[in-house]
Amino acid sequence: MPVRRFVITLLIIGPLLALLAYGFTRDSHYIVSPLLAKPATPFTLKLFDGRTLTLDDLRGKAVFLNFWASWCIPCRDEARELETAWQKIKDKNMVFLGVAVQDTDQNALEFLKEFNITYPNGKDEAAKIAVDYGTWGIPESFFIDPQGRITYKHVGAIRAALVVSKLEEAEKGIVSAQEGKGDYSAIK
Amino acid sequence: MKLTQPCRLLALLLLLGSIVHYSDAAPAPDLEEQTRAISAELRCVVCQNLSVADSPSEMAQQMRAIVREQVQAGKSPDQIKEFFVSKYGEWVLLKPRTTGFSALLWILPYVVLVLGVVAALWLAHRWTRKKTTAQPTMASRLPSGAARAELLHEEIEEPDLEDSSARAQLLREHARLRGELAELEFDFQSGKLSESDYTALKQEIVAKSVDVVNRLAATPPEPQAKSASQTRKREARRGANPQFGRWQIIAGGVFLLVFGLALGVMLTRSVRERDSEGGTITGDFMTGTTPPAARAALTEGKQAFSKQDFPKAIEAFKRVLAEDPNNPEAHTYMGYILVQAGHGDGALMAFDKALLQAPNFPMALWGKGMVLYQDKKDYAGARQVLEQLLSLIPAGEERNEVVKVLATIPTQGGATTPSTASEKGSAAPSSSAQISGKISIDAKLKGGIDPNAALFIIARPATGGGGPPLAVKKIDRPTFPVDYTLSQDNVMMQGTPFTGKINLTVRLDKDGNPVTRSPGDMTGEYKKNPVEVGTKNVDVVIDQATE
Repeated sequence: MPVRRFVITLLIIGPLLALLAYGFTRDSHYIVSPLLAKPATPFTLKLFDGRTLTLDDLRGKAVFLNFWASWCIPCRDEARELETAWQKIKDKNMVFLGVAVQDTDQNALEFLKEFNITYPNGKDEAAKIAVDYGTWGIPESFFIDPQGRITYKHVGAIRAALVVSKLEEAEKGIVSAQEGKGDYSAIK
Repeated sequence: MKLTQPCRLLALLLLLGSIVHYSDAAPAPDLEEQTRAISAELRCVVCQNLSVADSPSEMAQQMRAIVREQVQAGKSPDQIKEFFVSKYGEWVLLKPRTTGFSALLWILPYVVLVLGVVAALWLAHRWTRKKTTAQPTMASRLPSGAARAELLHEEIEEPDLEDSSARAQLLREHARLRGELAELEFDFQSGKLSESDYTALKQEIVAKSVDVVNRLAATPPEPQAKSASQTRKREARRGANPQFGRWQIIAGGVFLLVFGLALGVMLTRSVRERDSEGGTITGDFMTGTTPPAARAALTEGKQAFSKQDFPKAIEAFKRVLAEDPNNPEAHTYMGYILVQAGHGDGALMAFDKALLQAPNFPMALWGKGMVLYQDKKDYAGARQVLEQLLSLIPAGEERNEVVKVLATIPTQGGATTPSTASEKGSAAPSSSAQISGKISIDAKLKGGIDPNAALFIIARPATGGGGPPLAVKKIDRPTFPVDYTLSQDNVMMQGTPFTGKINLTVRLDKDGNPVTRSPGDMTGEYKKNPVEVGTKNVDVVIDQATE
């Protein structure tokens, strides 16, 4: 029977087509992080101003951790937004921390100067911190609550308003259900 | 012509061995083999279709360094893989796990394969049974009424065009009606006919077909009437044994399965990463391009080299090259042995042969760069080669070593390093073509001197105009106050006269790299700049610190 054959064909081909369509909707480069709601890995970062900072030093504060590089275009897009957000919250119980990856000291410092970045920044020498946080795109931002738990992750450029609201959530220990996504570059 | 730092060269060579990702063992076989084996099971987060072991990306290099560190720390392969899974999820494993949800990925293909085979067998069985049962019982299974019309959709018996019997004519009529009905249904489904027309026409055809089928039932087949050609055709199509078709299909299926498996196994074992521009992607499994004997000899040679048993190493590498004349590793090691023996030219040739096959082979780049620098004094060439090497290796001890060496090479070829010039006692510059004096450091900055800092004395033309300095002198780990002389020997561009008015500045560079500016660097300048070349007592105080 033609109708029966049509239905059977549809039953076989339909799921395959649906799978194919689902595949097209996904970003094949996107790696979903398993770190959300997990404790943030401790690290020690040598800052460009010569100081050394550890994540444990920041326990009790909501932390915004941003991985960036001077060669990354979306990082340039978000740089001023981040400084704006920092100026808004710097007197609260919140901390910003920038981590330059796959970059040279000179270029990183020029980048910070160009965008008048005033919050602490340091360089991840061998990308160990980047791997500890499962980074694969750049920029990537992590929000850590005062107990040291990752509450939100954002891959790509982020807006100042979102940074502030997610930090406020982090301060209250609210964990987001999903990661956020903006324009990003692949890490080198 | 022995190199001035053979021990340092050898030490770095062994370090560089760790970033070589060739299939054979590197100087420390256990560590490197384990690192490579584990990295081969991890997916590169940048390129995604390559393993961490095979990817040339910077991130993959950094991940390999982490794997190596963890192997050195005594972690097991499972623990290391678990570390990466905890950071990137199971996605990072090139081979999904065989437990939990991931097990589906392993099981599902086999389930689908089995279902496919079962479905194919069932269809084949159904098809052959229908063929064999339709003909002999046609008359007995004829239904009555409209149900007979269903027979229109089935082929009762193939009509023989050469047969002129009454039954053959009925069969031809039946075939014609079937065709007519098919056309009618096609027209109706494509919207060319209204439903009422379709129903009326179909009833007409059905009525005719019922009549034909009834008449067929009343006209039994005459065995002797069957033409020989019809029998032959049927036998040729179906075979004498109706079961034969099924076995044919089963055999075909099995053949396809074996063929697919064989192809899969052979491809995965034979394809490899192209190791050079002109290299092939097929490995020794199919083509035997790297003979097993050569591999064994290469390992033996490397082991002998690491023990500095050079005669044994030479013999082993010669055996490798006899079997595989283009092996870049063997050429490279031969180059290093020639360096040890003081044959710079021969070493250079060996490194070039290696780089011809593998242009980014770090060990060969390092060897060539050092020979050009220390033996041939070809600073521009050495800089170019070492900068290429620098672009290939990740941050770490090896990279720092290359950076250090690069910092000691004059920017332009021809200008000798100050220490070398003085060591060699080159023609003493006349006092009118030099500047001399003393460099001291402000008391408040003394406490911040890095023990590994390097002092750069820099002379720039007073006319300005940018570009490189006129002359630079580097003094490693200086002890203040430092007496200095800047002369023609220190000019950056060969042939540029060291004359006229210059601005003199000094920089105590914390990391010894003149290219970077780091916090902790200190600077100072001659207070009476500009100064005429030929002036003495040009004293400078370092009094500024970079924040």
